[in-house]
Amino acid sequence: MLLEACSLCYSVLYSSILAVLAGMVRLITHNLLACHAKGCTSNNFPLQFQDAAIELRDAEFNADFLRGFLPRIEWPALVGAARQLGDASLPAEQPEMLDDEFLQKLHHVLLEIHVEEGAMVCPNCKHVYPISNGIPNMLLAEHEIG
Amino acid sequence: MLTQYLFVFAQVHDEFRVPELLSISELYGFEIKFPENPEDKDTSRPFMILELESEEHARLLASRCILIKYVCEFYARGKSYDEIHERNRLRKPQWEKYIEDTSFKFLVTAFNHTIPQWRQKDVVESFSYMDFRGKIDMKNPDITLACFEEYPDKHGTTREKTEGDGEFDEVWFGRLIEVGLARPLVKKFDVKKRVYFGNTSMEAEMSLLMANQTLASPGKLVYDPFVGTGSIAYTTAHFGAFVFGSDIDGRQIRGKVKPPGIIRAAAQYGVANRIMDLCTFDVTQNPWRCGELFDAIVTDPPYGVRAGAKRLGRKNKRPPREGPLPVHVERPDDQPYVPPTKPYELSELARDLVLLARYMLKPRGRLVFFLPTVTEEYEELDVQAMLCEGMEIVANSLQNFGSWGRRLITIRKTTTKKFSPPTFDPAHAVTDNVDAHVPAHKDFREKYFQGFKKNDAIADSEARED
Ligand SMILES: C[S@@+](CC[C@H](N)C(=O)[O-])C[C@H]1O[C@@H](n2cnc3c(N)ncnc32)[C@H](O)[C@@H]1O
Ligand SMILES: [Zn+2]
Repeated sequence: MLLEACSLCYSVLYSSILAVLAGMVRLITHNLLACHAKGCTSNNFPLQFQDAAIELRDAEFNADFLRGFLPRIEWPALVGAARQLGDASLPAEQPEMLDDEFLQKLHHVLLEIHVEEGAMVCPNCKHVYPISNGIPNMLLAEHEIG
Repeated sequence: MLTQYLFVFAQVHDEFRVPELLSISELYGFEIKFPENPEDKDTSRPFMILELESEEHARLLASRCILIKYVCEFYARGKSYDEIHERNRLRKPQWEKYIEDTSFKFLVTAFNHTIPQWRQKDVVESFSYMDFRGKIDMKNPDITLACFEEYPDKHGTTREKTEGDGEFDEVWFGRLIEVGLARPLVKKFDVKKRVYFGNTSMEAEMSLLMANQTLASPGKLVYDPFVGTGSIAYTTAHFGAFVFGSDIDGRQIRGKVKPPGIIRAAAQYGVANRIMDLCTFDVTQNPWRCGELFDAIVTDPPYGVRAGAKRLGRKNKRPPREGPLPVHVERPDDQPYVPPTKPYELSELARDLVLLARYMLKPRGRLVFFLPTVTEEYEELDVQAMLCEGMEIVANSLQNFGSWGRRLITIRKTTTKKFSPPTFDPAHAVTDNVDAHVPAHKDFREKYFQGFKKNDAIADSEARED
């Protein structure tokens, strides 16, 4: 643990870590969120990225996690979002064989592409969910709640 | 074959001890046999003898349980040294392998007392019949023999430090296997040393106990829907899980400087890349596309004392407005629009949380959350009445603050049946259902601010608040 070393070098170490730190919105999250405005119940997924500023950051690889999560993923939405952000590494059809090469690609797309700024827009009602510092604001306005 | 191990626990959070042991044994897939005699499982005492299949299991417990101070291979206990020596002699088959050529040292210590140096020496000498021939090595011994004297709690009485020396209730002896390796985490996660925290931050020890109740481990995904400043996210991520956090109030997540506060504190603990994402939304108006996503949901729900429970909407419904919709007003904290909120009564919230968890958890997933309650009025039914089909209580541990307290509730999803997402419909509230059981935590906020007086003033205070 870098930060336990000593209290004097603390601030130095810490600021160097901050340089690579920010919020996120990983594509795994994007794949799980739908527009939930009042009455918006069809064609409300996937949200479309707008003015997305992206960053790539390493994440811990865990094959079991990926295998367990795959059934929850909407595949075409994931492939579409990745392509929108300039990553075309995933096949259009979800493969049946979950070999290591595929899992590595899936890992990269799901967990290592981060959208820092921009917005997600509902394809149906056009609600804009802004992303600031990697934190999407999914709050609804008063007239949008059920 | 089961072997007896002597466990020494920190004398805090008694009611959390057994649930924590059971959670960690479930996580690693082994069994613990607890003592049968009620006196021997009294959690107000620091000692407990547990039977396990292997020393490896004892080590696993010591590596994860926050409340464990020491684990020893158990040799003997007694009301006096005569008794303990007599019994320890009978245990020779267990320790004779160390006689010939094993370096060792003794640890002699007491609970609720300090043993003077000279008598510590006497104690060590009294074990000389074991005839250990290896060398004594105070720094790096092959084994440590541990002897613990247990004194009655003399709290609040004034006395000389060594007064009553030797008047212990019981003495315990064994070979030290492991010092509690998780206990130092309480210091590591100390809120005061954290780069980002707020007035809702949960203290380190509780955040760690909560993380253990979730069975957090690598490859799991855990959700805190009232993440606030993230206290529980850090400890859960520390044990390897991915964590997702959301809160109605983005300022809690972000703090005042960039990057967001939760990310800064997570980085301090080396777990920033295990924060899957953070998101601003009202959990009763949530954007989740589907259910069965999480291995656990862990949270400290708002109960109105420091962070009021809110939900989107207005207290008194306005007539639908005419004319244009509200424009987006830019605010200094760069939240484009902050919708109005109305209070969210605690018993309603608790019941909604259980329904949400049933929808969002994978089968066998756990919901772990704090339920504040009024000590005198609490009944077990309060918790039972929150449950729904497919959700079962695993643990319920009280942290007592006197007139009120909070219970850490652990619930397991026992069903594989699919359920629809909860409606969060206030119309089903406990409040309006005359036949429903009224739990002691109902209107907790109002009761708290009235000092838990038993009267009907609650309705009045509600009226006044408007
Ligand atoms: C007791 S605090 C949790 C504190 C957190 N454990 C921490 O370490 O700071 C409760 C949180 O719930 C949030 N909250 C209240 N009502 C909410 C709602 N309807 N949906 C989501 N979050 C809500 C509050 O903003 C507050 O941050
Ligand atoms: Zn929409």
